[in-house]
Amino acid sequence: MSITRFLPGLVALGLGGVLARAIELTLGPNHLLVAIALGFVLANAVGVPDRLEPGIGTHKLWLGAGIVLMGASLTLETVLEVGGTVLLVVVGVTAMTVLVVELLARNVFGLAERLGSLLAAGSGICGVSAVVAVAGAIRAREDQIAYAAATVLLFDAITIVVYPLVGDLLGLSDVVFGVWAGVSMFSTGPVVAVGFAHSEVAGQWATMAKLSRNALIGAVVIAYASYYARSDSAGRPSLRTLWDEFPKFVLGFLALVALASAGVFSPAQQASLENAYNWLFVLAFVGLGTEIQLAELRSTGLTPALVVLLALFVASTVSLVVLAALF
Amino acid sequence: MSFDRLRRRAAAVRSRWTGLERDWQSVAVGAATVATVAVFELQIPW
Repeated sequence: MSITRFLPGLVALGLGGVLARAIELTLGPNHLLVAIALGFVLANAVGVPDRLEPGIGTHKLWLGAGIVLMGASLTLETVLEVGGTVLLVVVGVTAMTVLVVELLARNVFGLAERLGSLLAAGSGICGVSAVVAVAGAIRAREDQIAYAAATVLLFDAITIVVYPLVGDLLGLSDVVFGVWAGVSMFSTGPVVAVGFAHSEVAGQWATMAKLSRNALIGAVVIAYASYYARSDSAGRPSLRTLWDEFPKFVLGFLALVALASAGVFSPAQQASLENAYNWLFVLAFVGLGTEIQLAELRSTGLTPALVVLLALFVASTVSLVVLAALF
Repeated sequence: MSFDRLRRRAAAVRSRWTGLERDWQSVAVGAATVATVAVFELQIPW
């Protein structure tokens, strides 16, 4: 594996990031949303050239690194201020989403059990990563994985547009908007993008709420593996699974929160790290945009999409009402 | 340091890097950025 294989795609991400920032500075629209739009246009208008694919495929690495660095601009004091309440909301909304999707899929729309479970994990926890993690534990079929992943991606694309509009329309505060996006949207990238597009504070809360939700993936994989193992030998749930599925970059994020809380960074260093994560996010979102492919979204089944739409509507409305009442 | 030793060291770093899970790679990039900013007082513009 040679670094030159990644270079063209990395340069493309860099150029896209600089262009997104330049468009924000000259015309005003948020750089993260512009970055996603640029990636989307590249992928759907001309297609991503083969030689750019390896470099562009690194975008999740930059998103994770950006989240780690975001820890340097937060302190434990800020997190603890409303963190306990947010954690309860995260667990409550996650459980509700999983249950609503399972109920609708099995009892109302008669979808296959495993497909329902994949949709529930994707909607409730962390999008396509959760679909893939749970699919491995319950031995789902390839077509079920593809359907569930396409459905999640469809709603990622929809919520990237709808959430900022609703947030502005309702005049939501930074904390309410951030946590609302963090607990009810699906994949980490879109959550971070709409959060920071609303404001810096909203972005930080969106990311923290989403990270807490992502950390539940291990427990959900174990629960599903145990459930399906009762009827067949589909999985071997163990505590090891908890660690395997845990998003490790959360540990880096927490380490930097601890260092920032201890006053290790000077204001100038904190400003530099904040700028660094802004650049990493903008690179990541150009790549994220290339993953929203219209041809794939069209392959989403109507019934799975309807199940997820209803569950998203319930989770989104309930969480917004609860958060507006709490904050 | 001879060219061969440099090349071996680069290969070892590359092999260790590709052996890392993506999440840990993200942590490594974050740590490297923090170290660079802290040691060289690097000002990253926005």
